[in-house]
Amino acid sequence: MKIHKSLWIAIGFVLVLSTVLAGCGGGGSNAGGQGKTLIYGRGADSPKLDPALVTDGESFRVTENVMETLVDYEKDSMDVRPALATKWETSDGGKTWTFHLRKDVKFHDGTDFNAEAVVFNFERWMNQEHKSGKKDDFTYYASMFGGFKGDEGHLIESVKAVDDYTVEFKLKEPQGPFLQNLAMSPFAIASPKAVKEDPGKFAQHPVGTGPFKFKSWKKGDSITIVKNEDYWQKGLPKLDQVIFKSIPDNSARLTALQSGDIDVMDGLNPDDAKTVEQNDKLQLFKRPPNNVGYLAFNMEEKPFDDKKVRQAINHAVNKEGLIKSFYADLAEPAKNPMPPSMWGYNDEIEPYEYNLEKAKKLLKEAGYEDGFEVEFYAMPEPRPYMPDGKKIAEYIQADLKKIGIKAKIVSPEWQSYLEATEEGKHDMALLGWTGDNGDPDNFLYVLLDKDNARIPAQNIAFYKSDKLHDILIKAQRETDKAKRTELYKEAQEIIREDAPWVPLVHATPPLAAQSYVKNYVPHPKGSDSLAEVDIQK
Amino acid sequence: MSMNAPTMPNQESVTETKPEQMDSPFRDSMRALLRHRSAMIGGGIILFFILIALIAPLLLPFGYNQIDADARLQAPSAEHWFGTDDFGRDIFARVIYGARISLWVGFFAITGSIVVGSVLGLIAGFYGGWRDTLISRFFDILLAFPAILLAIAIVAMLGPGLENAMYAIAIINVPTFGRLMRSRVLAVKQEDYVLAARAIGMKNSRILFRHILPNSWTPIMVQGTLGFATAVLEAAALGFIGMGAQPPEPEWGKMLSDSRAFIQSAPWTMVFPGLAIMLTVLGFNLLGDGLRDVLDPRMKQ
Repeated sequence: MKIHKSLWIAIGFVLVLSTVLAGCGGGGSNAGGQGKTLIYGRGADSPKLDPALVTDGESFRVTENVMETLVDYEKDSMDVRPALATKWETSDGGKTWTFHLRKDVKFHDGTDFNAEAVVFNFERWMNQEHKSGKKDDFTYYASMFGGFKGDEGHLIESVKAVDDYTVEFKLKEPQGPFLQNLAMSPFAIASPKAVKEDPGKFAQHPVGTGPFKFKSWKKGDSITIVKNEDYWQKGLPKLDQVIFKSIPDNSARLTALQSGDIDVMDGLNPDDAKTVEQNDKLQLFKRPPNNVGYLAFNMEEKPFDDKKVRQAINHAVNKEGLIKSFYADLAEPAKNPMPPSMWGYNDEIEPYEYNLEKAKKLLKEAGYEDGFEVEFYAMPEPRPYMPDGKKIAEYIQADLKKIGIKAKIVSPEWQSYLEATEEGKHDMALLGWTGDNGDPDNFLYVLLDKDNARIPAQNIAFYKSDKLHDILIKAQRETDKAKRTELYKEAQEIIREDAPWVPLVHATPPLAAQSYVKNYVPHPKGSDSLAEVDIQK
Repeated sequence: MSMNAPTMPNQESVTETKPEQMDSPFRDSMRALLRHRSAMIGGGIILFFILIALIAPLLLPFGYNQIDADARLQAPSAEHWFGTDDFGRDIFARVIYGARISLWVGFFAITGSIVVGSVLGLIAGFYGGWRDTLISRFFDILLAFPAILLAIAIVAMLGPGLENAMYAIAIINVPTFGRLMRSRVLAVKQEDYVLAARAIGMKNSRILFRHILPNSWTPIMVQGTLGFATAVLEAAALGFIGMGAQPPEPEWGKMLSDSRAFIQSAPWTMVFPGLAIMLTVLGFNLLGDGLRDVLDPRMKQ
């Protein structure tokens, strides 16, 4: 009897759905139907949708619209504004933080958002509980808060619910970027009920408080999220549905945009920016450059344990040429691991000039006159900081050959690529980083501190400098910005000398959208809230 | 490889028939082939490609991997005959070096599959019985997969690279040659001269190599020429999807794939490698068709 009934419901549902879909028409983008659907074309699918378990932008792009953080960034900058917490105080020299939470908020599964939920989430991360699989790790939590509970550097002593809507954080040491950190997408508050029920399912079906609810995921193809009717910000979101569609090839994605199959596209080929500008039906966006594309050496492998070899390769990379060839001048050469727009940037650093003779000389001094062979990992998917990793690798490969280094370019698919580099299977690897909290710590500590050089590593150079570590930790615990600036400048000098990377470029990633897409603001952190975006035809 | 075994008797038989030159079937076919116009065009194209692949590197002003960011995406000109790609590399130089790669891959892949396929086909056709069942079912299994899919699977196992692509192409072509050889052997086996040879007590191996192989050879030659064309295409296909030639090798398929983004803004980056693939394939197809016309007894006037 039961089966019978549900079958009828299912058939009814299919019928309704088919009429809705038919109403949408081929393009799917709101042709006459009452629903406003935005199709967002992007280069790759999300690996997982539990933001605490991932570090990549394609996952955050979706989760930040489904789940929210205690504090958030302003619409177009990295300044912090209230979100799930309405106000906060700090006392005890920056060691105690008290957050007052918003009261009328519910998770998508109907449970209440309250102090208990916040405490549950932080305890889940610090105790590494409720993971979807054995190999999972709360990488970001460890990076931002000095490890997990019990680790020596772990910063958060306790998270307590003072009352239903007040949470108190006690820190062992003050942390300069604490508030900035809390605003990051990985620290979005998940529904405790959904996580407890089945963490494995949660990673496929996130439940939060955000403007959109998760609906469905076709692996490798698309993720659909729908309007949260009970969203606490009245009048938002303006869209009824957003579909994130993966189209790996940049040109194919542009074709899809031109033919109206998608409404917004990320990862426009820099070469195509002109085409978009000349097209009345499209609009061009430029995401503020808050990133770095780099080549990391695996310092645990020979010959990259030798500083001279790393410096030699730094002299052998023609950044200007790369920018001309693959960025259509929408980038600037990098000399530091963080972008110049960031405070604390050390502009006095002398960049390694492109000089093959110097490179050869350094290699000779290191005893590698005859060169060597390496495996050079190049990312298979277009990234905002690197529109075509394989070609960039090929370009660098040609110069390396001139100084006797034979590089074999390896390019596994994106998920394996991230795993391989996290585990240090590479000799050299291309990767990049889009800053997601507006603090230098977010670049230098996350990407180059020895704390983050353990597997799965974010510091894929496996650069372990005690000297740098001391400075970065000191800068973290300092709350005076002027003092922190000095410390970060010093850190950049050490990094320049040790050369764990070749910092390549800071890109200004171009994006394109249909001209009827309104209020879309590309955020410097690389993923955008779509709550206010609208379609007006 | 056992290439020597089958060819040696063949050569011997040629020398044996030398005294009666007037009636040599080989000479007959040669003459017919030279009269066959489209075969000659095909042969000419192939010779041309072989020639430029051999000597052109001496003449080229640019290396195939000479990068110049300032000369990127230039249209064809007196300096860069085929224009430049997005690295600023000379496309003419890359297309010509690409000819080396494609011909090399085609040659070794097809030679490999001919040798393996012929041996298996000979055994299956001549001995029959369980050997035939085993080998024929093996061919059936290979043929059950679409060729390119099988090639992708093999490369995925071996790891991407030109050499592995070559092995994959060789493997997927084995059953074609094997089945051809087997069917010829089955027919030739019944001929009177084989019966006669058997009657006078000739050893199996001698019958195989002296009588059956030389008389089953022609369709393999035709199929080999046609297969060369397919092999060039398959190598390009694998290169296109990134499983064949690895950077910076200027393989034609990979060049096509690398220039996808410029199909509108710089079409020469696609046109020339595309033309090169087309011409090579056309050349081998024309030659193969011509060979079939000439060698097939049924086609003789």
